[in-house]
Amino acid sequence: MNAVFLILFSVSAALLLARDPAAFLPALLGGAGKAVTLGLTLAAVYAVWLGFLRVAQDAGLVRGLARGGRPLTARLFATRDAAALDAAAVNLAANFLGMGSAATPAGIAAMRRLGRTERADYAQAMLFAVNCAGVQLLPTTALAVRMAAGSAQPYDIVLPALLASLTALLTGAALTRLFFRPPFSARGRAAGRSGRRRANGRGRTNERGREHRSSPPPTEQNGRRHSPSPPPTEQNGRGGAR
Amino acid sequence: MKWAAALVPLLFLGVFLLAALRRVKVYDSFAAGAAGALPLLKDLFPYIAAVLVLAELFEASGLSDRLQTALSPAFAAAGIPPEIAPLVLVKPFSGSGATALLGELCARYGADSYIARCACVVYAAGDTVFYLSAVWYAGAPKRPALPVVIALVSNIAAFCVGCLLCRVL
Repeated sequence: MNAVFLILFSVSAALLLARDPAAFLPALLGGAGKAVTLGLTLAAVYAVWLGFLRVAQDAGLVRGLARGGRPLTARLFATRDAAALDAAAVNLAANFLGMGSAATPAGIAAMRRLGRTERADYAQAMLFAVNCAGVQLLPTTALAVRMAAGSAQPYDIVLPALLASLTALLTGAALTRLFFRPPFSARGRAAGRSGRRRANGRGRTNERGREHRSSPPPTEQNGRRHSPSPPPTEQNGRGGAR
Repeated sequence: MKWAAALVPLLFLGVFLLAALRRVKVYDSFAAGAAGALPLLKDLFPYIAAVLVLAELFEASGLSDRLQTALSPAFAAAGIPPEIAPLVLVKPFSGSGATALLGELCARYGADSYIARCACVVYAAGDTVFYLSAVWYAGAPKRPALPVVIALVSNIAAFCVGCLLCRVL
């Protein structure tokens, strides 16, 4: 961005110097003035949505979405590492709800953990591709900017935006599968499924209870949930040996 | 799009009631979240200002028109209106820059125009690929190129589909 800024600024300034030097400073000030107006709009948007998202987070909704999505994530990232899957799912759920600030730390944690799984390249690339698709339930910033500009029907972009980002998601996921070769797909999938079922059946009660407290980091929760059920790891070892 | 407008109040109502049911102090919780708004703006504002200053200068110098003319065949072929070219080009690098340009496009062409709608969809679909790759692969010994290429390709596909949908829907 630094190079882009410098080049564009210099070239534009040079052109303007040749054409109309008096317009230089007014242009700069005009741009900054627009930034102030836009900043005020954004402050209002952030106040409303960050407040809302905090309520959703405190109600355990992000965690709930992440848990509900595990069937999908286990298949997507071709791993049974529950800690990695949890971090990835929290990241995806946070993204889906439009909370970028919560999504990034979880994403980085997931990236690190996926890096230690048997198909690290593939899993990391997949997480990156999915994140770059930016699938969101409601594109809140775009909506707000549009409303601020006096739109009569601000919501008519919701569906096209959702479909467009789903296109990015599908394209990205398909290309990642294609170029990073899906690992032992049939066997991995079956093992992932049984592991998940077991984990779900057991974890549920004690997870609920814990949810009311300040949400614990995914690692801790998972270590506990997974330790009493050895079968998935056994399957894991067998799969690796073959 | 009546349902989409109803989605927001339903979402708020549903989440707040559920939160109350789970003994969350909704008022305190909301306030705690909203407290993050100004610090976030404080972090973003310098970049928004820089990009908008640049955009204004870019516009005044006539460079923007030239770029649009130069790129319009490529964009027209992809079905993306050439007016949003700056947004498409800035988006992979900077989210706040894209926000700034989106506001600019909505103000100039009218919020309900086809161009502004395309801009909103392009803004909402996809993400800041280069920025994300820098953050996410920060721990890696070297940043792999292939995932970045894949993400860019799928983002462009999404832009094309989004602009097409803007015309149809």
